[in-house]
Amino acid sequence: MTGVGSTEPAKSGALYDEIQAIRALYPEDSESAVLPALRLAQREHGWLSPDVLRDVADALETTPAYCKSIASFYDQLHLAPIGEHLVEVCTNVSCAVVGAQQVVEAFESELGCRAGETSEDGKVTLRTVECLGGCGWATIVAVDHHYRTHVKADGVPAIVEELTSGA
Amino acid sequence: MARDVQKIVLRGADDHDLTKLAEYEALGGYKALAKARAMTPEQVTDELITSELRGRGGAFFPTGRKWSFVPPKDKLPKPHYLVVNADESEPGSFKDNEIMARVPHRFIEGCLITAHAIDSEHVFVYIRGEYSGPYEILVGALEELRNRTDIRGDVTIVVHRGAGAYICGEETALMESLEGRRGNPRIKPPFPAVSGVFGMPTTINNVETLIAAAPILLNGAEWYKKMSLSSPKSTGTKLYSVCGNVQRPGTYEVVMGFPFKEFLYDLCGGPLHGRKFKAVIPGGASVPIQNMEEAEATLMDYEGFVAGGSMLGSGGVIVIDDAQPMVTVIARLARFFAHESCGQCTQCREGTAWTTKILERIRDGEGTVEDLDTLLDIGEQMTGKTICVLSDSCAVPVVSGIKKFRGEFEALIQGKRFHPVTAAVA
Amino acid sequence: MAEKKMVNLTIEGRPVSVVEGTTILEAAKTAGILIPHYCYHPGLPIAGVCRMCLVEVEKAPKLAPSCATTVAEGQVVRVYSDKSLDARKGVLEMLLINHPLDCPICDQSGECELQDYTYQEGREDSRYREPKRFNPAEDFGGDVIYVPNRCILCTRCVRFMDDVAHEPTLNVSERGDRALIGKFEGKDLTHPWAANVVDLCPVGALLSKDFLNKARAWELDRTASICPNCTQGCNVIMETRENQLVRMRPRPNENVNAFFMCDWGRLNYRWMNEKNRVEHPMVRGKNGLAASDWEAAISAAARALNGKKVFVAASPMLSNESLYLLTQLMQGGSGAFRVTEGEEAPLPGVEDLALRRERAANVYGAEKLGFNKTKDLLGGLGLGDVLVIAGEDLAGIDASSVARAGDVIVIGSILPEAAGKASVVLPIANYSEEEGTVTNLRGRVQRFTQAKQAPGETRPSWLVLGDLLGAIGKQTNFFLPSEVFAQLASSNSSFAGLSYDSLGFKGLPLVDAPPTSPKAPIAVAAR
Repeated sequence: MTGVGSTEPAKSGALYDEIQAIRALYPEDSESAVLPALRLAQREHGWLSPDVLRDVADALETTPAYCKSIASFYDQLHLAPIGEHLVEVCTNVSCAVVGAQQVVEAFESELGCRAGETSEDGKVTLRTVECLGGCGWATIVAVDHHYRTHVKADGVPAIVEELTSGA
Repeated sequence: MARDVQKIVLRGADDHDLTKLAEYEALGGYKALAKARAMTPEQVTDELITSELRGRGGAFFPTGRKWSFVPPKDKLPKPHYLVVNADESEPGSFKDNEIMARVPHRFIEGCLITAHAIDSEHVFVYIRGEYSGPYEILVGALEELRNRTDIRGDVTIVVHRGAGAYICGEETALMESLEGRRGNPRIKPPFPAVSGVFGMPTTINNVETLIAAAPILLNGAEWYKKMSLSSPKSTGTKLYSVCGNVQRPGTYEVVMGFPFKEFLYDLCGGPLHGRKFKAVIPGGASVPIQNMEEAEATLMDYEGFVAGGSMLGSGGVIVIDDAQPMVTVIARLARFFAHESCGQCTQCREGTAWTTKILERIRDGEGTVEDLDTLLDIGEQMTGKTICVLSDSCAVPVVSGIKKFRGEFEALIQGKRFHPVTAAVA
Repeated sequence: MAEKKMVNLTIEGRPVSVVEGTTILEAAKTAGILIPHYCYHPGLPIAGVCRMCLVEVEKAPKLAPSCATTVAEGQVVRVYSDKSLDARKGVLEMLLINHPLDCPICDQSGECELQDYTYQEGREDSRYREPKRFNPAEDFGGDVIYVPNRCILCTRCVRFMDDVAHEPTLNVSERGDRALIGKFEGKDLTHPWAANVVDLCPVGALLSKDFLNKARAWELDRTASICPNCTQGCNVIMETRENQLVRMRPRPNENVNAFFMCDWGRLNYRWMNEKNRVEHPMVRGKNGLAASDWEAAISAAARALNGKKVFVAASPMLSNESLYLLTQLMQGGSGAFRVTEGEEAPLPGVEDLALRRERAANVYGAEKLGFNKTKDLLGGLGLGDVLVIAGEDLAGIDASSVARAGDVIVIGSILPEAAGKASVVLPIANYSEEEGTVTNLRGRVQRFTQAKQAPGETRPSWLVLGDLLGAIGKQTNFFLPSEVFAQLASSNSSFAGLSYDSLGFKGLPLVDAPPTSPKAPIAVAAR
């Protein structure tokens, strides 16, 4: 007996079937599918709420506690809501020495929120992240998981405009 | 290009679109694989042993020897697994990104050759979750092979995406993560060759290591072995990811033993206008920081970097100029390790965070004289006492930084502010 | 059975010889050396994460985690060398940097391994000057509270729930120095064996709600006993403060309960602190039952028994000794007992360990000694029999069932309502107030000892019964319960050859008990 949301297990539905397909790629008794399953559920629902974790757990025949434990380990899995768009600025050393901090501040100024927060209109969540592996093209900003290279502070307004205009 | 810059891994990528199967085959692609399949697994492994190729992920373990560790199926009747470590998350390193994005078919060929050598039909490529671009290209290349059973053989390749954890680049943590658990490194023994993923005999190789199998098989081990400008123990070429305060950052492939001074000042174009180089971290965040005197005397191979007061590591060359406060750089590195610690071992979990807090306090002008001794002591406690070496890696820049740039630490502790040294305009 | 290969090594200068595959930490125990550790526990898979057990091994380049390293021939291990001590000192310092250092208000104080090892080998001060990490305390459900700020992330609790309870309710959440133990919202630690995590926790991070703020560890008196609450016979320690039972905790016994006990057993000690006791012997006179003295009461009981057929309604909580003496009172009659039942709740990770359906300590002993198990306790009471009520409270039975008894003698800690017509009441100690043995469902005979003093003039049950038997002409002369047991052993072939000395505090099986094997061996390696 739980508090929040539906307690009906998701025995049917697209997510359940997709997760079964993922499980088939790995040895039978393994739990390998949990990471791709969480990723998939997050893509569908935006973030991993307790309800979503329950659905994933049911599809994987494991416990929500287990799924939460996995999700809380990895940076790319969100256990709190995020905005429509995700902007992640690398601030590790290679980007830091070529001005990543200024890029972060430019985003904070344009979006009106601090790194780690979502803009008021809910459109963009801004985060600082660790090395994205694009150091030769610093400063790297991952916008919705795709890298923008050579980002400078003065290029930030255009990116924000692109994300906040339109739908 | 200057002498002894040889493109083997990235050969042809500048002039052709090697993400396309047709173009790769036109250049001789997958011929090495055919050659390998005509040999026995033992013969392929022997060829790799002869080439003296060493792992390019940072540990430099002889690759052929590693392949030979998997017990033959008549001794241990279990399926063999090949796991490719494409989790590249070492700060400063982006060579595997380039490899998978620009020469995915050569990479796949390397995987298939390796699978043959270790008698495996199961390949898992663990690619870091953030590499969406290379992932899409790799999956596209695998799609092109869907109907090419002549190339695929009986091998299944599954590309498994990570989800943001540097520690999953450690081979046992990678296996844990692949098995659907938290990325906690395992105690060894048992070793992966005997009991790796899913309890099966496993070989784990870095992307850059595997991909060399193709040119080695094609041109012969002796050819590869001859490529060395210095120590005969380091053969072939190495990809370096150059970044930071330098004119021409990017990926460079040079022969082992190339002079670092020529590399930095000629190939990479030297420092930015009006600046001077101050420090280099030649192998990614986990190797000791070099001052320029050390760097300029170094020959770029495994033994050479050790002699130069550092290590080759992953070959992520982070160049730092005189406008950067070293304490800020080192504090940022410590913060990285604290963020990435899995949290199992006491010294790492608490030590990385403690180190970071002290360094940030010094950076912000609130350090005390005792702090330096405390930092070195914590570093000592974090070295050689944990399940994996993330803990040791955090201590490394701190210890080397205090040793070689102590003046900057002391100045901040004494209340002075950091002033970038502006060189006279050259 | 294959010969096990032995390995010889030296630990702190002492020669040690152990079976191949033994870890250095376990090998050190055989040499009388306890290597300090946290995450290791012989009942759990090896984790090797706390790094406290690092020892120096000659010729090895790095310190070895002794809980996870198997012995090798000729190894020379130094547990107290400078390097080893320094490493442990480092771990202790690191464990305390975010610790609230709130011993004065922490329940674990006095039985805390962080305190113990820090006093033994830690620093006197801390060099930590930064803000401490903070997380609020959490109710984990069941009997358990979690205080994250004291947690050292040894993961014993997680491994217990995963690998022994087979219900992975607990996990590690977050990563690095943000890590803490978590459970999913809506799921609680209501597993019937979950409270073992409180015992397992070496520090005050997991606490028992039942025990919260009740007593200080150093105020407790402790005795070895057997849990009376079901037929499993888990070995326990009974802990009292000011003559009240305040806690029961498991004692390891590889043949019965490994290292654990269930929540039902553990938390069900209050009945042994019962009030409303009969504190003086009573004899019926002209004006009803009145307090008397022991001699008079025993004599009155002997007169009542003289030559009559006896029916004994006994409690399955009584010891083998008392039940044996009761059978000698029967004089051609019979005896019965009833036992409350509940759901069986196994602990899946340990072989043959469960909270049993029958909720009393000595069901097996009672049956072995000739008592009939029945749901209708007084069904066998014949018209005119002398009814001896021993230890039973007759709950749910009314006086009309007692009516056909010729006479009633109560030997118990309370006077049951339905036994109002009793002519003699002999007050005895309850289970926690005397010494004896009980027999578990696998036929294992185990000793329990006195945890607290019985009130008033009450006496141990075996003493009272011995005196009563003497008063009706049977030769007895018991000064110790071991003497009663010796007589039992010499007269009952199932108990033949057993003695308190041989039973010790791990017990022994009855001669005709079905064979059992020890539970899961020491420390299974993780995966």
